[in-house]
Amino acid sequence: MSELQCCAPELMLKGTESNLGGGTIASVVITGLVVVFIGLILLIICVSIYGKIFDSINKSKDRKSKAEIEQKLREAAKGSVVPEAKVAYNPPTVEDGISDEIVAVIAAAVAAMSEASGKKLVLKSVSRQKGARSSWAQAGIAENTRPF
Amino acid sequence: MDIINSFLNTMADLASDSGFAGFLKDGGWKNIIMILISFLFMYLAIAKGFEPLLLLPISFGMLLTNLPFADMYHPEFWEYLENVPEKTGELNSHYIDYERILQHGGLLDILYMGVKLQIYPPLIFLGIGAMTDFGPLIANPKSFLLGAAAQGGIFFTFVGAALLNMTAAECGSIAIIGGADGPTAIYVSSKLLSKTDTIGVGTIALAAYTYMALVPIIQPPIMRALTTKKERSVVMGQLRQVSKIEKLIFPILVTVVISLMVPSAAPLVGMLMFGNLLKESGCCDRIAKTAQNELMNIITIFLGVSVGATTRADKILTLSFGKVILLGVIAFSIGTACGILLGKLMYVISRGKINPLIGSAGVSAVPMAARVSQKVGQEEVPTNYLLMHAMGPNVAGVIGSAVAAGVLLSIVQV
Repeated sequence: MSELQCCAPELMLKGTESNLGGGTIASVVITGLVVVFIGLILLIICVSIYGKIFDSINKSKDRKSKAEIEQKLREAAKGSVVPEAKVAYNPPTVEDGISDEIVAVIAAAVAAMSEASGKKLVLKSVSRQKGARSSWAQAGIAENTRPF
Repeated sequence: MDIINSFLNTMADLASDSGFAGFLKDGGWKNIIMILISFLFMYLAIAKGFEPLLLLPISFGMLLTNLPFADMYHPEFWEYLENVPEKTGELNSHYIDYERILQHGGLLDILYMGVKLQIYPPLIFLGIGAMTDFGPLIANPKSFLLGAAAQGGIFFTFVGAALLNMTAAECGSIAIIGGADGPTAIYVSSKLLSKTDTIGVGTIALAAYTYMALVPIIQPPIMRALTTKKERSVVMGQLRQVSKIEKLIFPILVTVVISLMVPSAAPLVGMLMFGNLLKESGCCDRIAKTAQNELMNIITIFLGVSVGATTRADKILTLSFGKVILLGVIAFSIGTACGILLGKLMYVISRGKINPLIGSAGVSAVPMAARVSQKVGQEEVPTNYLLMHAMGPNVAGVIGSAVAAGVLLSIVQV
């Protein structure tokens, strides 16, 4: 407000004032539009600048990761990369009454977990736990206690 | 015999104290009209789905306040008094006796304090901020220009109101309807209007929300009239991906820039951006959810019902109400036209890359105005998706109307 006051001291209208003159009305319109435009143009400048900065940072990151992938591919093509040691495949022992679909789902969940932690996990056995909470109950408890 | 007499007297007293008798008193018929209008608004909200979340509380507040002798709201408590406080010794011509309101006020008087003290609109903005994705605006910052242009409606309507010989406070309050932003309109009018003005906050709020609900009817004819088929058929390219850090910086930046430039816009812009920061930070999910849902809903109820309460028959059934309705629709139309015209200019400058239809979304009315742009665009090219492009000017319009509100509050002194 102080900025506006110093720019247009004669433009302060009393709320109860009526019969506003043509000059006053015109200056309200011009001042209003100019201030709104200046404010938003300032924002355009700021947002564009930081948008460009982050865009270039992201692009350079992308370029780096692309270059890394390409290099790996090139090395693989040359045969210089030693293939990872094969993990001996021991099929997990599955308790009776658990269908193949369930085992597949558990294996997929374990695979997803291993991706998140960066480790390789192996499914060794699948057996039903007795007396434990059902997965729905566990999910419910997790949902309700997460914020605390 | 005495018993019968006393019974009859008591019944007569009860009848004369009842609301029915109130309708027969001087000017009581106006209350009946207002109650019927409140039924109409309830119908529009429930059956037609016109902004029901606000129109229904407003219309019920309207019903409650117009029931004679219910005394839930007292307009006389809210009239400005002249007072010389002992501490300052200076005359205060805008004094409200809050002690009296707290002691003798009805339920709606107490709730209305949140409007008069400008508490509810910034809190609504907090919720809006927590729900808004500024991504499309950050991806295409030029949208800010369209959001600014659409505020033209506000300032050109100021001219119209001034020509109708209204006071500066009334001009500012009516003009802000052109911003198509309910909370902003309530914020400005509750600050500016006083007992000498012929309109009240309720009138302004009613007009603003009615027109916001009518956006899909008011805007398309203007959009079609001002654009050519070729312009409407422009298919815009995909927006760039915006990173999380950009979204985090945005609310802080806008708050600092706008609040330094127009300090009177700080409560609205500040809370809007605070809500958005809560959402984007990702570490305050609980608070962000509360701001989006529970807090927003509570404030909406309080705001709606108490603003509805200000629509007392004696205050609203005046010639000025007609003026507000007329100038409100003009404000809206000019805002839409200004956005479209700047959109056309950007179409020319960008050599046909920008579809001018997204300009009309610069009037706030989120997300309705953006949906209208999308719909009108699809009438020409069914596979054209303008929605995300229109969301940029749409959210820029919210910031723009808050800035315009700040400017009006700086120019018109209470």
